[in-house]
This record gives sequence, C-alpha cells and structure tokens, in this order.
Amino acid sequence: MQKLLQSQTARRIAQIALVTVLVGLTIYFAAQKNYRPVQYVQLALDGLRGGTIYALVALGFVTVFNVTGIINFAQGAFAMLGAMIAVSVNIALADLPGVPRLLLAGLAAVLITTLVGVIMERVTIFPARDAEPLTLIIITVGVFIVLQGIALLIWGTDSYSLDSFTTFETSDHIIRLGGEAEGAIPLIIRSQSFWIWGTAAVLMAGLWFFFERTMIGRALKACSDNRQAAALMGISPERMSMLSFALAAAVGAIGGFVLAPATRPIYDMGLSLGLKGFIAAIIGGLVNPAAAVVGGLMLGVIENLGAGITRAGFKDVIAFLILILMLLFRPQGLFTRQQRVEKV
Amino acid sequence: MLKNRNIFAFLVLLLTMLFVVACSPAGTGTEVVEEEVPAEDDMAEDEEMAEDEEMADDEEMAEEPYKIGFIAAITGGAAPLGEPEAATAEMIQAQLDEQGGITGPDGVTRPVEIIILDSQSNPDAATSAITQLIEEEEVDLLIAGTTSGNSLAMVPIATENQVPMISMASAGAIVRNEDGSAREWIFKTPQDNLQSAEWQGQYLNTLGFANACYLFENNGYGQDTLASAQAVYPDYGVEIGYNDSFNATDTEFPQVQNVLADGCEVVVIGSTTNGSINMHNAVAQGAPDVAIVHGHGVCNQAFIDGLTDNKEGTPLPCGKLLVPDQLPDDDPQKDVVTTYIDEYTAFTGGDPISTFGGHAYDAFLMAIAALESLEGGQELDARRAAIRDYLETQIIDFPGTGGVFNMSAEDHLGLDFTALTFVRVEGDGYAFYPEDAWGTE
Repeated sequence: MQKLLQSQTARRIAQIALVTVLVGLTIYFAAQKNYRPVQYVQLALDGLRGGTIYALVALGFVTVFNVTGIINFAQGAFAMLGAMIAVSVNIALADLPGVPRLLLAGLAAVLITTLVGVIMERVTIFPARDAEPLTLIIITVGVFIVLQGIALLIWGTDSYSLDSFTTFETSDHIIRLGGEAEGAIPLIIRSQSFWIWGTAAVLMAGLWFFFERTMIGRALKACSDNRQAAALMGISPERMSMLSFALAAAVGAIGGFVLAPATRPIYDMGLSLGLKGFIAAIIGGLVNPAAAVVGGLMLGVIENLGAGITRAGFKDVIAFLILILMLLFRPQGLFTRQQRVEKV
Repeated sequence: MLKNRNIFAFLVLLLTMLFVVACSPAGTGTEVVEEEVPAEDDMAEDEEMAEDEEMADDEEMAEEPYKIGFIAAITGGAAPLGEPEAATAEMIQAQLDEQGGITGPDGVTRPVEIIILDSQSNPDAATSAITQLIEEEEVDLLIAGTTSGNSLAMVPIATENQVPMISMASAGAIVRNEDGSAREWIFKTPQDNLQSAEWQGQYLNTLGFANACYLFENNGYGQDTLASAQAVYPDYGVEIGYNDSFNATDTEFPQVQNVLADGCEVVVIGSTTNGSINMHNAVAQGAPDVAIVHGHGVCNQAFIDGLTDNKEGTPLPCGKLLVPDQLPDDDPQKDVVTTYIDEYTAFTGGDPISTFGGHAYDAFLMAIAALESLEGGQELDARRAAIRDYLETQIIDFPGTGGVFNMSAEDHLGLDFTALTFVRVEGDGYAFYPEDAWGTE
C-alpha cells in the first residue's frame, strides 16, 4: 500500500478513481430522494452557515499553528466560551434594550475569552515552550477538557438561548423566498445567517488588514515565516506566541457569539466545533488563512449536502471521511503545491 | 515532512478516540458526563453516617434498624435528576424518624436508616457504592440508580448478592433479561418508552396519520424511543416512513429536507430536552405545516421555554406529576401525586417538582410497604428474600406518582400506558389533553 501510494501515477489513478466513485455515489444517493432543486439550495445554504463558523474556528487553528507550530485543540472551547459568556451576560442585563445588551454581551464574551486564551498560553504553553510540538498538542487537549469541565460546573447540562441580533428576542426573523404557489417549497433563510456571514467577512478583512498593514501583525507574520530571523530582528517569539493565542481566542469567541442565536449553546458544543474547524484547517493546508476559510465553507456545504442525500446520521462520518482522505492524499492541503509545504 | 506525517497520523488516531469517547452513549436516560469529584466529600459523608449510626445505636438499643441503601447521581452530569431523588430520600428519612420507624405485623416498631451515597453519575462509583452498601452496611434492600447506565452496572452485583434493588432509571433492560423474562432481584419505578409510544400511536391513529417520520437523538435513549415506536405503532395502524438520527449539538438539520421529501404529515421526536428543542424548532421553521409530537423525555419547563415556533398545542405524553390540578378526581393516582407534591414542597422549601423525585418516592413507598410486612426475628438473608417476594407478589393496584403498579413474576415494572397521561403545551405550561378533545379543533 505504501509503495503503491508513493508511485506518482498510481496516486493519480487512485485519486481519479476516488473522485469518480464519490461523484457516482452522490448521484446515486441523490436520485433516491425526490428532492426539488430548491431543497439542494437550502441544504447548501444551511451548510454555508455552519461552514462559516468552521472557517472562523479554522482561522484560530491556522494563526496558532503558524506562529507556534502547535495545533491548539482548545480552539473549540474558545467558541463555546464565547457563546456561553454572551448568553450569561445577555441574561444578566435583561433590563437593557436590545442593542447595548447584545453589544455588551459580545464584548464581554470576546474580552473574557481572549483573557482565557492569554492565561492558557502563559500557564500551560509558555512553561513547556521547549518541549516537542506533540507534547504541546497534548497539553492543548488537556486544556480543552479542563475548560469544558469548568463550563459544565458553571452552566450545567442545560442548553441556553441567545437573542437574535435582528429581533432582540429568542425567535429569529425568518425570510421565506418563493413558495407562494400551492405545494411549492420556499427557501428559508434565518436573519441570523446574514449576521454570521457579515461578521465573518468583516472579521476576515480586519485580520487581513492586521497581518498586512500593522506593525504588530507583520511581526506576527515574520515570526511565522522564520522564528529565528524574527527573533534576531528584535521580535520576541514568546510574546508573539501569546498574541497568537489571544487572537485565536478572540476569533473563536466571535464565532461562538454570532452562532449562539442560530443554535442553543451548551457546555459541550466546543468538541464538534473544534473538530470540524480542525478539518477545515487541514483542507486549507493548516498554514494559509484564506485557504482555511475556503476549507471551512467547503466542509460545511459538502457535509450538509452529503447528510441530506444520504442519512443525517452520516454527517460526522462524511466530515471525518474528508479528513482521512485529505491526510492520505493531500496532507499539504487542497490549494497548496507539494514543494511549498516541503519548505515549511 | 515525514515527521509531520507521523504527527498527522497520531492526530487522526487521537481525534478518533476523542470522538468515540464523546459520542458513546453513556447511560440511556440522560447525557452522562464523567466528572472528577473530590474524594473528601465522600469521606466526610461516610464519617457523618458513621456518627449517625453510633447515635442511633445508643438511642435504640432494643431494635436493630432496618437499612435502606440509596444511591443516586447527586453530582456529575445527571445531577439535575439525582438531586431531587436524594432530597426525596432525606424527606422520607425525616418522616420515618418522626414516626419512630416501621411497625411490623408483630406490633414492634423498628427504626429505619436510609444510607445515601453518591454515584457521581459514574458507573464505577456506583458499583463501588453498591458493594459498600451490601457488604459493609448489610442493607435490607437497595433503591439505586439514577441513570440507566449506572443501574445496569449495578444490576449484576445486586443479583449476585441476592439483594432486592429498585432502580429509578428508564431503560427496560434494567428489569428484563435479554429473553424478556424479569430479572429476579431487580425492580424499577419509571415508565418505559413503550408506554410513551402507546400514547403516541393512539394519538396518531385518532388524528388519522398513517405515515409518521421519526427523528431520534443519536444516543441510547433516542434509539430506545425509536425501537419502542417501531414495536408499538403498527398496532395502531401507523407506519414509520423516514427515520433518522440527530445530535443535540447540531447546528444544521438536513433532516427537515428529508421530511419534506418524504411527505409525511407528522414528525415524532424521540430525545431529551436539549435535542428535542433544536429539532422541534428546525422542523417548525423548515416544514411549518408538519405536525410535531414528542415523547415523555421532555416533560419539563426548560423544554417549553426553549420552543420558538409552532409551540402552542404541541402534544406529548407525560407523567401525571406535571398536571396534578388537572387530573380528574377519580384518577387513582390523584391522592399520592398531591401528597408527594405537598410533602416535597414543604420539605425543600419550594423546590420545583420533578418526575425523577417522584420515581424515588414510588420506590420508597414500595420499600416501606415491604418492610412493614416483615415478621420480626429473621436473619438478613431471609429478610432480603421476603422483601423480594413481597415486591413481586404484593405490589398490586399500588398507586404511585409514576402510575398504578401491578408487579408480577413476569413484569418487574408493572405499568401500562395509563401510567402516563397526554398533555399539550398551552401558553407557558402543560395542560391536560383528554382523548375526546384530540383533533377536534
């Protein structure tokens, strides 16, 4: 098997065969359901919403990996904390009108989670900074379990709800397109989806600006390009490591905050978000933020469409199948050429 | 690069493990989360108990107390269920202390000691607790197990030591062997999903739904609700078309598109509170014309509070404890239900009523009845056997909060579908929904 995979032609043939089989299976399963075209659009749209959250979580993975070389499995917990803290603040400030209430909730969620990210780096990663990356990765898994355990103690096993950003109450405004005709199925978009997409777009633009146009962002980038050279230029890799965790936590918290009204936040939501975000980052090759975002959107859409045409219970199976195939055939990511990764 | 590959391979393994651990159904009644609880609590508890025992010995030299071993998930993931159970146990202890104990047929009153241990929602802690109760405390009988997982872990130990055990968890397998016969030493008080399915089948039949879609949470409890529905619905002429699972933490629900494609007019959701809320709202938004029916796993206020769309009128079977005031006066459970609610509210200073505390209460009613029947002067083994025989043969037309129990050698639950009642959501609460009102408006 190993030898077979190493041969370039065999690899190519395997890839083509795999794609053919997958496309064939997709068509076969889709034919089993009597879906109307609008339902495929609906599945893809829903997937795009979930995928946006995966993309935000994936951005956190990429930021930390680029600077420190470790995969931070506590990333999902940041998203969970963002959602849960926002929920609690929203409940505590129930007397305030909608706009300041949700703004404060979001602000508190992001600030507290960022602080948690910084503390996590200082307390667990910094003291072990000379250890193997593998050791550090295991540490992040431990931190994830600790954070989830603390969340369980604080919030218990109940799920909560955060007010929609549009209506300022639990039930969201729903846009129905088409479907006026008898028996037609309308396309349904929840207003919160636009908030999710808008926030993600603004956030990504902001991150781009930060990395390309600000001194500190460029220092961070320099650190990810070449740690030693950056250190020689007077950039402290330790400080950059802390900054990368702060950034990852903040992005994760924003993801959790905007997702919260579209779902019901619960203490253990971080696990699946973290794993899906990781898969998205892997699709993007783990080093490229833009590719990770595309990876997240792709994962969301494929997963939801795949679950729609087969069985919904297969949703996670599909996501993990993608992970395994990626690691087998394109560990450097979908959008990266082989030799560029060799350099990294 | 090679090193990277190795790390990746390791990560995949790690992820798979994490996922398997996270997704394995732990206990069928609820989501059980293993959690570390400081050992000191247990020790402190034990010491307190030891002191209590000494004091009891000093005061009651004449008669050895009866001992009831009680194990509930007072901490850990199932704590919301275990806490009212433990409070009920404390309440019963206070009542028995006040009465001086249990008076047997020989006219002698013996004190009763309820030894309360915490299973921490963890099967390992549960098994060590039950071993301690049987071997060190030498209890007469056990009321044990908040979750199905914990109960099933304790069943073999109680059976092996021939100690009667009453479980407070839902899974039918707790009292039934694989061949369907009753487990000799094990009884339980909560209703099965089978009784829930009976109500749903009747309701669907009355409203003329021949084809139902079934959506269940991807855990032991959800699968049990589907299996029960598949076993019962055909009797009522209802066929399950599309069925699929979901996770409580899902954010997208492609199931809704399948429901639309299948064309079924009603969706039955088999899950506990958190999952049911998500699935209900997704169906109500994506397929607003499809009716939704729930099971008795969501009979609490949090469920109603979480619904956003098509909330009013949502029908479901529930225990009678939820609608005490609306029960007809001739309902055989009316007395015991109102008594429990009054006593529990007074004892706890107004804690909300939960059906789980009710399951503990029913178990204690049976245990006390069994102890009252005991002749004096029997050895421990003889007492245990006599209690078991009493539970199996004498619990007839026995009203509890969870139903009217009729135990037999074949059935160690002894409930039929009348143990539940049918309600629907009205405003912010549950309202009794009598059969003659079904589908009339």
